[in-house]
Amino acid sequence: MTIVKKIKENLFVVIVVLAYIIMFIAKPEMGIESVKSSGYYIKEMLMIMPVIFVLTALLDMWVPKEKIMQYLGKDAKAKGVFLSFVVGSISAGPVYAAFPMCIMLHKKGASIRNIVIILSSWAVIKVPMLINEVKFLGPKFMLIRWVLTVIAIIIFSWITAKIIKDEDLPGEVLTKTGLHINRDACMGCSLCVKNYPELFEMENKKALVKSYEALDMDKLEKVIKACPVKSISYNEGMNMQYPFLPDSADCEK
Amino acid sequence: MDVFTLAIWVGTLIFLGISLAKDKVKTKQALKMALGMGKAMVISILSIIFAIGFILTLLPPTEIAAFLSGQSDMLATVGGALLGTITLVPAFIAFPLVGTLVNAGVSVVPSVAFLTTLTMVGVVTFPLEKKAFGVKFTAIRNGLSFLFAIAIALVMGVVI
Repeated sequence: MTIVKKIKENLFVVIVVLAYIIMFIAKPEMGIESVKSSGYYIKEMLMIMPVIFVLTALLDMWVPKEKIMQYLGKDAKAKGVFLSFVVGSISAGPVYAAFPMCIMLHKKGASIRNIVIILSSWAVIKVPMLINEVKFLGPKFMLIRWVLTVIAIIIFSWITAKIIKDEDLPGEVLTKTGLHINRDACMGCSLCVKNYPELFEMENKKALVKSYEALDMDKLEKVIKACPVKSISYNEGMNMQYPFLPDSADCEK
Repeated sequence: MDVFTLAIWVGTLIFLGISLAKDKVKTKQALKMALGMGKAMVISILSIIFAIGFILTLLPPTEIAAFLSGQSDMLATVGGALLGTITLVPAFIAFPLVGTLVNAGVSVVPSVAFLTTLTMVGVVTFPLEKKAFGVKFTAIRNGLSFLFAIAIALVMGVVI
């Protein structure tokens, strides 16, 4: 069962390996040719990926969430769009180099629209590419294609943001926002109900949270401390696990 | 190494230095995180790279160019856009190639369609993008990029 699951998860890797095996059996010289042309891309990757990983981790560590939200979030509007184009344009390396960077930015509050802009401009209109384009196709060609591409990206990033919501992006919820009672641990001492009757009630000899609007944090803290089995917890934010970002526990505090 | 890659290296190293001076523990944590990211992505990236090598051998860019120049504009545009989506060619090969195409008299429209989908839409990067952003996001971004690549090509054909 687990082997099947593993193959399913890495289906692409399996296909590539199989393709190479078949090619090497059928036409060994073509296989060698393929490996050779892969060599260039490996070099390209080694030149850019390590630095992208370090930069992403450093930015994650030092730039506070509020700043990213302010400059690249939903409410950044035109400023966010402009900045996203700048980030994508001054980049280097293949488009997949943008993935870890964009996951990190999204985790910190960048909007879907701006993520699409960064990815797309990273792919087609980054400055190193434009320079190459001028060399071989002339400045007029480059300029017209650049203007059209920017317009296109502005439009389809807007469409994408209309269709895709933040929840559609992967990110596993580790602990949720709000107040939780571990009902397995609760032994029904009803201390919490005595201390904060507006918030807690007993049901089947276990504590339960009533629906609430405002919280008295002082009172709540007392209740959490008073619970003899420490089964009450309160989280201010959502703790998420994102793809490719290991132990992304927020280190801002 | 081009100037931009170099600039990112220099900038990051300076950033790392400042980070190290400010907080050693945090910096160590960041480096650990970077290593973790690398580990999580390396297999996917290598399979993308070898897939590109494979496709380039089966469909060499020069042959794509020869194919495109022999077709009618309509067919060449759609064909160029489709071929562009399955291959991923570095800029220093793609631009001279398209340059020769245009100079040899192939219309601008198919050339631009090829050029734009070449980099913006990726069949080989799809699995990794899916892992990072989910199926829905990846499908919509790539689908829209493809449609707009053709639109850009058509408009360019009129303007130039």
